[in-house]
Amino acid sequence: MQSKPKVRFWGSEAANGLLMISPTAIYAILLLAAPLAMIFAYSFMTDGYLKIIPEFQLCNYFGECHSYKDVNGARSVAQTYRGVWSDPLALTLLWRSLVISLVVTATTVLLAFPVAYFVSFYVAPSKKSLWLFLITIPFWTSYLIRVFLWKVILGTGGVINSGLLEIGLISEPITWLLYNANSVVITLAHAYAPFAILPIFVSLEKIDRSFLEAGRDLGESPFMTFWRVTLPLAMPGVVSAVLIVFIPTIGDYVTPNLVGGPEGKMVANLIELNYKKLDNYTLGSALAISSMAIVMAVSLLFLFLNRRFLKGNKR
Amino acid sequence: MTSEKPTMSGQTMIEFKDVHKYYGDYHALRGITATIKAGEFFSLLGPSGCGKTTLLRTIAGFEGISSGVVMIDGKDMVSVPANVRPTNMVFQSYAIFPHLTVEQNVGFGLRKDPRSKAEKAAAVAEALEMVGLKGYGARAAHALSGGQRQRVALARALILKPKVLLLDEPLSALDKKMREQMQMELIKLQRQVGITFILVTHDQEEALVMSDRIAVMFEGEIAQLADPETLYRRPNSRKVADFIGTMNFLPAEILSEIDGKVEVEAKGFGRLTLDAEQVSVAPGSSSASIGFRPETLTILFDGQTATDRESRAEVVEVVYYGDMTYYDIKLEGTTEPMRLSMRNVFGRPVLDIGTQTRVAWSPGALVLFR
Repeated sequence: MQSKPKVRFWGSEAANGLLMISPTAIYAILLLAAPLAMIFAYSFMTDGYLKIIPEFQLCNYFGECHSYKDVNGARSVAQTYRGVWSDPLALTLLWRSLVISLVVTATTVLLAFPVAYFVSFYVAPSKKSLWLFLITIPFWTSYLIRVFLWKVILGTGGVINSGLLEIGLISEPITWLLYNANSVVITLAHAYAPFAILPIFVSLEKIDRSFLEAGRDLGESPFMTFWRVTLPLAMPGVVSAVLIVFIPTIGDYVTPNLVGGPEGKMVANLIELNYKKLDNYTLGSALAISSMAIVMAVSLLFLFLNRRFLKGNKR
Repeated sequence: MTSEKPTMSGQTMIEFKDVHKYYGDYHALRGITATIKAGEFFSLLGPSGCGKTTLLRTIAGFEGISSGVVMIDGKDMVSVPANVRPTNMVFQSYAIFPHLTVEQNVGFGLRKDPRSKAEKAAAVAEALEMVGLKGYGARAAHALSGGQRQRVALARALILKPKVLLLDEPLSALDKKMREQMQMELIKLQRQVGITFILVTHDQEEALVMSDRIAVMFEGEIAQLADPETLYRRPNSRKVADFIGTMNFLPAEILSEIDGKVEVEAKGFGRLTLDAEQVSVAPGSSSASIGFRPETLTILFDGQTATDRESRAEVVEVVYYGDMTYYDIKLEGTTEPMRLSMRNVFGRPVLDIGTQTRVAWSPGALVLFR
């Protein structure tokens, strides 16, 4: 930090800046970049029994792969498996995860928008923070407990079924509510609701109300004003909400594990299986990298489609 | 409320009949009754919080009224929503849609217009040319300066050919030079299109420069509605006089009142008789005072004589403005300094503080408030 004339770097503005961000930078490198780089590297290596053999190969992604075991000092094939993109099971789960997370995202954002709109436009300014606070209250309990609660609600002897049986609308419990993709969608949509409500609320709050009056003044009905003015101006918030919900849900494994049943299993369950029970780190890593690539591709495509809403709206 | 300038058609465009507006307990508009004529450049002038913007918004339809009637072009507007009213507004913030280009902003209101795309595009280009933004159509709205935004807002409103254009403090965000330029452009534009303009402003100079008629508002009421000259020369209350320009006040004593003519005695001016039209009666006021504008008194230099009346005075403060000099003077026998303005003429000295001098004045330029 002293400014010796010879060593110019220390004490310069750049050095101060680097010093200031260094705790965060170290945190980010150690906990985000390094593990990611490791997983990326694993996905190109060879699986050995309880260890990873640092030999480069692409078969974790394409084609047939072998796991090896040391038998009396000699390497022998322990298992043969298919790479992610050649394995029908992995592809099914990737596809299902993508579809489920897209449905969850659409449901969550469509349900979150009216809530955010109501709080932003119809709640008195002094009460807005109270409302946002109330929205987050269900999220003070553990995520696991909330997932279990959905079991209680959706199960064959659950709240919905017993209620419907009681009033005589159904004669036997509905079974398609729990242990399939539906229950995963419902549970995840509920879990991510506040993360969608908040960014949409923020972007609605930022809209100068005179824009809406101008829309009316220029001859548009309330609905058309919403369509031509409010919605385009709220799009940055909608885009954030979509990404915030979509990105983590595709990799969720607790919810599908607990309420998904066999039809509701997602790619993260397969990754977990490979890492823990099958001890195949390389295939697990390749699955993780593949689903990450899908997330990235879909997100970038989504951002590209919405690029006109995200450009320099500084005012 | 006399001597109204003739306007283009003279027909009534907007009529307020005993309009009241409450926000909860707050009485924002207290019985507004006024008419605005077609083709007129009308201003609502007053300090902030006087209800002028509220009144403008009742015309646009953004604000409902608690009682009374607002009529536009002979039609009661009570159940007519903002999007159907024959008015368009230039907002104080301009409200230029940031997600659209200049062209899309100007053409925003043309969605339901039956004309073809090409005709609409031509109309947009014409509107942009009218406000001096030819060739700016493809620009992004957020890349515009304050003055350009205002022009876009004007073009966007005028392209719809409204019966009334509402301007909510449109010049307050501009710097002084730009503001003066836009004032002249707005006047020209209004003459060119012939649409009724209603301007809300707190700037009395702006109102005087631009308007055919001005309604001065205080606390939800119209204090005086008149053309700029009447407002300036014959304000009907001390409050209006204080708000419009500078006015000096001298305590006066009323001696007699015959056939409307009032004879008063004021220290510094002596005894004088004023016509009925020079007298404004404010309800509830107990003391009388003489009011006069700074330019109605003239300092007499050596050898000059007054054409009407003259008084002795002492210079107590001098403020030099280049083209003008402002003097604070004490008239003989008075203690309060009065503001006096003199046009500077080449070869004539600027007087020093403490100079004893004579000032010329005319009883016709005075106003009596009682």
